[in-house]
Amino acid sequence: MTIDYLLSILKPMLEGAQATVLLFLIAIIVSIPLGFLLTLAVRSAIKPLAWLANAYIYLMRGTPLLLQLLFIVFGLPLIPVIGEYLVLDRFVAASIGFILNYAAYFAEIFRGGLLAIDKGQYEASKVLGLNRWQTTTRVILPQMIRIALPAVANESVTLVKDTALLYAVAVPELLHFAQTAVNRDFTIIPFLIAGVIYLLITLCLTLFFKWFERRLRFD
Amino acid sequence: MAILEVSNLKKSFGQLEVLKQISFEVNKNDVVAIIGPSGSGKSTMLRSLVHLEEIDGGSIAVDGEFIVNDGVYSKPQQLKKIASKMGMVFQHFNLFPHLSVLENLVLAPKLLKQGSTTEHRERGLELLAKVGLSDKADVLPAKLSGGQKQRVAIARALMRNPEILLFDEPTSALDPELTGEVLQVMKDLAKESMTMIVVTHEMEFARDVANKAIFMDNGEIIESGSPSELLTNPKRDRTKAFLHRTVRN
Ligand SMILES: Nc1ncnc2c1ncn2[C@@H]1O[C@H](COP(=O)(O)OP(=O)(O)O)[C@@H](O)[C@H]1O
Ligand SMILES: [Mg+2]
Repeated sequence: MTIDYLLSILKPMLEGAQATVLLFLIAIIVSIPLGFLLTLAVRSAIKPLAWLANAYIYLMRGTPLLLQLLFIVFGLPLIPVIGEYLVLDRFVAASIGFILNYAAYFAEIFRGGLLAIDKGQYEASKVLGLNRWQTTTRVILPQMIRIALPAVANESVTLVKDTALLYAVAVPELLHFAQTAVNRDFTIIPFLIAGVIYLLITLCLTLFFKWFERRLRFD
Repeated sequence: MAILEVSNLKKSFGQLEVLKQISFEVNKNDVVAIIGPSGSGKSTMLRSLVHLEEIDGGSIAVDGEFIVNDGVYSKPQQLKKIASKMGMVFQHFNLFPHLSVLENLVLAPKLLKQGSTTEHRERGLELLAKVGLSDKADVLPAKLSGGQKQRVAIARALMRNPEILLFDEPTSALDPELTGEVLQVMKDLAKESMTMIVVTHEMEFARDVANKAIFMDNGEIIESGSPSELLTNPKRDRTKAFLHRTVRN
């Protein structure tokens, strides 16, 4: 094993890691706000909306993410008549799958965060003259984010590892290039490198959330 | 002149009748002490005044303007305007834990766009000085003792210059050695002629600071009058029994 060999497999693997990181960023940036909207829907006074949101969360959490991805990437195009319009770029289709799935998990996390906020916070806000929007955005949300942060951090690390599911829908990413190199060169090294790269990504993420938690701490 | 008029207030939670035809008046500069056993409806009554509870019947008027007239609430805009004449201090402070002490004070005026940021800041610092917490302006509530938190809560309620300040057992959540500093702030406010309604178990405070006392039991006002009279010479058996129990404790 030489440095040259290491460099030669590192290049495609880092390119694969780009797809991993890109999917992660897209999924997290869209699914967190979407998850919060879902939480609001679950708590909505409009009963059918709350019911739909609950059913959605149940569906997303009750079935495997891998099934959902296969369904969107390979299943949707098979639907008669409209199927041909549902053939998406596989990376795009997979991103949608991750967003829809993770939004449900984040919704559950945020719901728990809201439950942990004392009702006295709403009452004090009301007596001070704040309206519902001001109360939500200036009093409740900041506290909810702080409370939910450790669980969000945890879920984010899981998301990084879940990006490996791209392998199953044939989108080239980190694991794909590692597997290719292992098959071609009969060496275990690419797997080890892939593991190290995943570890580095999750380490960065963990450090980021630790820093963020310290910044937001108010107890 | 009556600044607050409450008549025939009724409120039930499901089958449970919590307030039965409550009527009383508060004049400007009054300090009213409300006493009574736990579960008698004192908090519900206070909360109804600031619209934290919706009442089922009766009237509430501040400065002659109705919040609710014979069970019918005013329009939201009007209601909000009238309710803003009252401030409330809670048993558990309800400070915003993510904001510093000064930010707790200025948040509402800032969002309601009443005056400039500099004015809010100056008014906030002035009120913190008044409750003896000038040095805590930039501290988070978690760093304060219970007594300090309650003093911040009082300062926060004063930011809107309320005409009436309501207190729901302001010292009940405090360690005994911390009640004094909060009661002192309330005494100072009374001296400055602040109109206050105080639900309390502090009989000494009721006797020394209040000029009117109301005894509630089981959703009714059983007896009211001057504190010294009511506390030392109650006329009704239920008042006597309550005071007897409280003094013994
Ligand atoms: N939100 C509520 N739902 C149902 N019952 C309530 C609610 N709030 C208060 N109660 C009941 O109303 C009665 C009066 O309560 P409260 O006003 O808190 O009394 P106090 O402040 O005098 O102790 C109690 O029996 C209490 O259990
Ligand atoms: Mg009470």
